[in-house]
Amino acid sequence: MYTAKLLTQYWLNVNDKPGPMIFTDIITFLGRFHPLVVHLPIGFLLMGAVFNVLSYFPNYRFLKDAMSFTLLAGFLAAVAACILGYLLSLSGEYDRQILSQHRLSGILLAILAGILWSMTTALYARFIMISKKIVTALCIALVLLTAYTGHQGGTLTHGSDYLSLETLTYQVREKPVNAEEAMIFEDVILPIFERRCEGCHQKGKRKGRLIVSSHAQLMKGGKHGPVLEPGKPDESELYRRITLDPTHEDFMPTDGKTPLTKSETEMIRWWIENAGAAEGRKLSEVKGYEKMTPLVASLLKLPGARPLPEPGVTTMRAVNAAIPPKTDMATVSILRQKGLTVRVMLHDPVMLDVTMPAKSGVAMSDIEKDLSIVAGNVIWLNLSDNNLTENDLKILKLMSNLEKLRLEKNPVGDRIVDLLSQHQHLEAVNLNGTLLTNSGLARLRRHPSLQRVYTWDTPVTETK
Amino acid sequence: MSFMPHSHDEEFRLNTPDGDALNRKLDRRRFLLKTSLGLGALATGSLFGMKGLSGDKSPSLLEPDANSTEEAMLAAIPHFAPRAKRVVYLFMAGGPSQFETFDYKPALLNLVGQDLPDSIRKGQRLTGMSASQATLPVVPSIYKFQQYGQSRTWVSDLLPHTAQVIDDLCIIKSLHSEAINHDPAITFFQTGNQLAGRPSIGSWISYGLGSDNQNLPTFIVLVSKNAQLDQPLYARLWGNGFLPTRHQGVQFRSGKDPVLFLNNPEGYDGTDRKEMLGYLTKLNQLQNDLYGDPEIENRIAQYEMAFRMQTSVPNVVDMSNEPQEVFDLYGPGSRDPGTYAANCLLARKLLEKDVKFVQLYHQGWDQHAGLPKNIARQCRDTDQATAALIKDLKRRGLLEDTLVVWGGEFGRTVYSQGKLTATDYGRDHHPRCFSMWMAGAGVKPGFSYGETDDFSYNIVKDPVHVHDFQATLMHLMGIDHEQLIYKFQGRRFRLTDVHGKVVNAVLA
Repeated sequence: MYTAKLLTQYWLNVNDKPGPMIFTDIITFLGRFHPLVVHLPIGFLLMGAVFNVLSYFPNYRFLKDAMSFTLLAGFLAAVAACILGYLLSLSGEYDRQILSQHRLSGILLAILAGILWSMTTALYARFIMISKKIVTALCIALVLLTAYTGHQGGTLTHGSDYLSLETLTYQVREKPVNAEEAMIFEDVILPIFERRCEGCHQKGKRKGRLIVSSHAQLMKGGKHGPVLEPGKPDESELYRRITLDPTHEDFMPTDGKTPLTKSETEMIRWWIENAGAAEGRKLSEVKGYEKMTPLVASLLKLPGARPLPEPGVTTMRAVNAAIPPKTDMATVSILRQKGLTVRVMLHDPVMLDVTMPAKSGVAMSDIEKDLSIVAGNVIWLNLSDNNLTENDLKILKLMSNLEKLRLEKNPVGDRIVDLLSQHQHLEAVNLNGTLLTNSGLARLRRHPSLQRVYTWDTPVTETK
Repeated sequence: MSFMPHSHDEEFRLNTPDGDALNRKLDRRRFLLKTSLGLGALATGSLFGMKGLSGDKSPSLLEPDANSTEEAMLAAIPHFAPRAKRVVYLFMAGGPSQFETFDYKPALLNLVGQDLPDSIRKGQRLTGMSASQATLPVVPSIYKFQQYGQSRTWVSDLLPHTAQVIDDLCIIKSLHSEAINHDPAITFFQTGNQLAGRPSIGSWISYGLGSDNQNLPTFIVLVSKNAQLDQPLYARLWGNGFLPTRHQGVQFRSGKDPVLFLNNPEGYDGTDRKEMLGYLTKLNQLQNDLYGDPEIENRIAQYEMAFRMQTSVPNVVDMSNEPQEVFDLYGPGSRDPGTYAANCLLARKLLEKDVKFVQLYHQGWDQHAGLPKNIARQCRDTDQATAALIKDLKRRGLLEDTLVVWGGEFGRTVYSQGKLTATDYGRDHHPRCFSMWMAGAGVKPGFSYGETDDFSYNIVKDPVHVHDFQATLMHLMGIDHEQLIYKFQGRRFRLTDVHGKVVNAVLA
């Protein structure tokens, strides 16, 4: 074993070179046979023990002679399983505490199997006489040790909750009838932890040596001490971690797992502050619980629920739902060929920013039909300085989702207002250098959505 | 191209040994390459959440490309509905003092000359320039402040014109940077990294969004000629880094001819230049097929851009159509090409032509000594034109979709560097907090964000990191700063590296 360790260390240390790198791969490769090979000693040793017991019965006395061979096979298989198991453990992917127990019991098992086998050999019998009952007792001990080692191995691969008494005794709590009757910790807080934290903070994984599966374990805290300070959420490490900025190194849950909702963090804050982070307390027993009932109801999915608004992604402005999600991109290409600049402002829904370059010479009649096809998707439109009149601009009526319109330096007058009256999302219109007058502006002022009208260098005389 | 007195009927061939090999191999190799990569492109397209609608950029099996994942990434832009279509970034190089401009600290008046308390400094390392000072005497602004606009924002008396447009500005008083010296700090602001070599903001924008005006560069840089040249600027601040070279900022000269050699030399009328460039492009394309160096494509693009700029640039820099009233608005200097005022006016004209990113640089803000006198000069040189740009853009309706940014690379210290007298003091570099403003498309007008302590030494509320500012700028242009990525030497790069949060609170 020591030599193997030395060799592996050598291999691991130099594994940046191409040659020895292969050896570490072989180690992992061989190690992965451990779960297969490990079943051989289980079978052989169990069979050896069964032979031993059966050999008490006259009909099966002949099995006594088979014991030696069976135990030898079991012993050799156990040694092989130990070696492969050690190689597998080098990958470092396992819980260290359970691993060391498993390793120790596995080695003991191999040694015990070896001793037992030697007891059954003729050579041994020549020097030391041993009672058959002692051999049987040792066989039974061997089977028990096999069972224990096997369970440890299973725990390593499947997790501690895979086969445990807790699974047998786990009771599903009955959902409380209303929020007031709910037990704060048992019904509200613990399920939050189970949902968000227990994946890592449980008996099997114990990340940061914290377990959230029960109140006692929570109060015990983790590697850095207690995580809950009753009455002081801001001094509680647990609360700090779940309310940090998600990009912060200490933020929990980590590794992109779903963070707690605002309702959940707020509930935890209230529990620490007002319920002393205690267990066994009904909501209605805590002073000032009334304001929490809608929140508790929402967490328990009971009637009267009112979750807290999530801060969410405020960076996204609400997009006008009336905009058609798709548009005819072939028409967009045609418009581009005809000299217009069409920019896709958003893909879903498709928002277009259409510009007719100044003095482009493009005739409105030539593009009107194409524009009508994509009209609902045109959000920004710039037709400035193209010598257009109201008669050229009838197409505007179809562009019901228009938000910004630039018509500056075109010979349009007050009649333009009629074309814009139906636009519910129109925000800004640039009419600089047009023929707009005071009366046209006055009518634009009554437009329900319009916020800004530019009237520089027009007959408009009133100041803004 | 109809008039071609000496046109070639046959396809060009490169008559070199390399070229022969190419001619033989081309069909087979192109077939294999394009069919295999085309399928790969289809598979990877979904990785980048490509929506399939991408203007004319969507990859297809017929025109696959070795850079298909890159194309798919670009095709997903814009990620948000953009609020801004163009940016003009007024970079005040040297680090303008926040004390004499926007961060009003009346409490300092009672503390003049007192040593900076350790409770405020918290053991911060100072620069070598003031670290050896026996005392760090606190000094308030020698200039008075008044409140302006409906927002009642405090502005220094040095900025009377900016004060007039204060209700259009969104002032951030809680910027903070990581670098304490000019070069790394400016490089950090412009490229997201303190070491040289990354693309600047304008290059990223050009790469991500392309151009809205095929006849002018997407990213144009104007450097004031009338500034105090205390700290240098370098072309890499508007460099493309590892992005294709056509995304580099094009610096216009600060003088009568912003771009040289636009006019034809004597005795040449230029009529066959287009034809000549056509053949040059063909030759370059052959070279490109042979070596596949993407820089050849950039070279082709830049030749064509230069050709178009022969007509577009004289047009846009021509000030003869601007009325006197405009020159009055931008103030003295606006008729002298290359000054800050003239550059502001030129910037407006470029923005009118839909140039996407215009960056002005004005040096001279590095006032370690003689600050009262020098900052007054700096403000006098820039204040009126800056405010004029806002007013001019606003009345033209361009502030609707133009983002204006004003700021330097860091702030200055509350304590005086050098001797503090009744009329004179200096201030050292201070990256922990400083002020900037944005105006126009998508930002809240008449709004102040972030707070510093009474010494303007530490931020007490709503800090905004340089990467946050960059993320916000990208956001306003419709780009998710985490999604605009370029892979270079095996590593994926972003403007904001692995940091940056959009400052939602300043968005309108």
